[in-house]
Amino acid sequence: MNPDVLLRYAPALISGFGVTVLCWGVGGALGLILGFVIALLYRLPFAPLRYLLRAVIEAVRGTPFLVQLFLLYAGGPYIGLKLSATAAGMVGLGLYSSAYFAEIFRGGFAAVPVGQIEAAMSVGMSPRDTMLRVTLPAALIAAVPPIVNMLIVLSKETVVLSIITVPELMYQMQTMAAETFTAFDAIFAMAVFYWLLIEATSRLGRRVEARVTAFMAQEASPA
Amino acid sequence: MSAPMIEIRGLTKRFGAHEVLRGVDLTIAASEVVCLIGPSGSGKSTLLRCVNFLESYDRGEVRIAGRLIGYEEGPDEIRRPMAPRALREMRREIGMVFQHFNLWPHMSALNNVAEPLKRVRGLAHAEANERAAAMLARVGLADKAHAYPARLSGGQQQRVAIARALAMQPRLMLFDEPTSALDPELVGEVLEVMKSLASEGMTMLVVTHEMGFAAHVADRIAFIDDGRILDDGLPRRVLHESGEPRVQQFLQTYHDRNAF
Repeated sequence: MNPDVLLRYAPALISGFGVTVLCWGVGGALGLILGFVIALLYRLPFAPLRYLLRAVIEAVRGTPFLVQLFLLYAGGPYIGLKLSATAAGMVGLGLYSSAYFAEIFRGGFAAVPVGQIEAAMSVGMSPRDTMLRVTLPAALIAAVPPIVNMLIVLSKETVVLSIITVPELMYQMQTMAAETFTAFDAIFAMAVFYWLLIEATSRLGRRVEARVTAFMAQEASPA
Repeated sequence: MSAPMIEIRGLTKRFGAHEVLRGVDLTIAASEVVCLIGPSGSGKSTLLRCVNFLESYDRGEVRIAGRLIGYEEGPDEIRRPMAPRALREMRREIGMVFQHFNLWPHMSALNNVAEPLKRVRGLAHAEANERAAAMLARVGLADKAHAYPARLSGGQQQRVAIARALAMQPRLMLFDEPTSALDPELVGEVLEVMKSLASEGMTMLVVTHEMGFAAHVADRIAFIDDGRILDDGLPRRVLHESGEPRVQQFLQTYHDRNAF
């Protein structure tokens, strides 16, 4: 362990950490929005659209993120899509995670007991009110734990962005290791940063989860 | 003479190849309490769900205060599905209580009752809450207004569900095995609420296995088996003097099971 090297590279590492968090945040938000839209479209009673969305989801889930990122960054310009490395990284993370988020939201909708919807129908609630007041809240609550889980997975996928030269944490670390031949220090510092990020995420996730499910927690009460 | 509150004629319903209801006739006058009994799979829940069109039916008709539910009546013989808005308007007048309560778990007891008042009846927030609180008091749960369903016992949840249906001021109430999911010691509190409702003149159609309730509260008992009503009459007559062997057999099994 060499404190001088670590100290010298601290600004680069911190800036890399910032880029990692930024790419992860923007990519995750994009993925959540896109995934939610896909899940909503999936519910429309239009079979061809469902087949199309299913094909897209399977294609994204069935190929490595690295391949998708290359296709987007290196292949994009051939179809007129020129993105900076960082922008491509964000969009890539968004597209990649949207397939998983779409499945999470779809599962959330499926988890709403049909009886709750029938109760809304039986009092004459409109489909719109039923969706906004009954189905959607219940579906989102059910989706919170898998969303937190996917966000954690996604935070670790950000390392792949280093391959297309996004100056995120992994990239800075590799630079440091190559320039100073201090592989162990670099990897150790990187592990600390990622652990901090993920620990913070899962703590926040647990709090959100506790908050949205608190009132639904089954107390020990007679059935 | 005005139209009966519920009039079911020649009702037929099939799920795929299986015919669940095979020509059911049943008429319920205003303020009448009718209990529907029968073995499981006999079609009693399906019949009840046809009354507010949660279940569509194939042939025959279900009329609520004279009006056909679920289909538009045209000059020709072909009937078309009812406009969704018209169906919703009819459903407002028909309260329904489910076996598994079906409360909305993300809303407090008060909001479970107030929500439809706001969304469907268009009541202002304060007014809806006031009526909801009154309804909870009516079923003996004034102190549980701010509890979420998960914190309530099954009996309390079912009473909230009854309050939710009643708050809409329906013209009739449907009960789909309202006590079947409850621990035995919690059945009584729900039946008490239903009994007081009956005594106030509410029209009620109740699918139940509670023979005591049927015997003492119902004006009539209808026995359904294999999609047909086999007997329909005064509780005492159906329970003790039915001429139908199938009814006697069912009640005998019931009696044996509860004898100890």
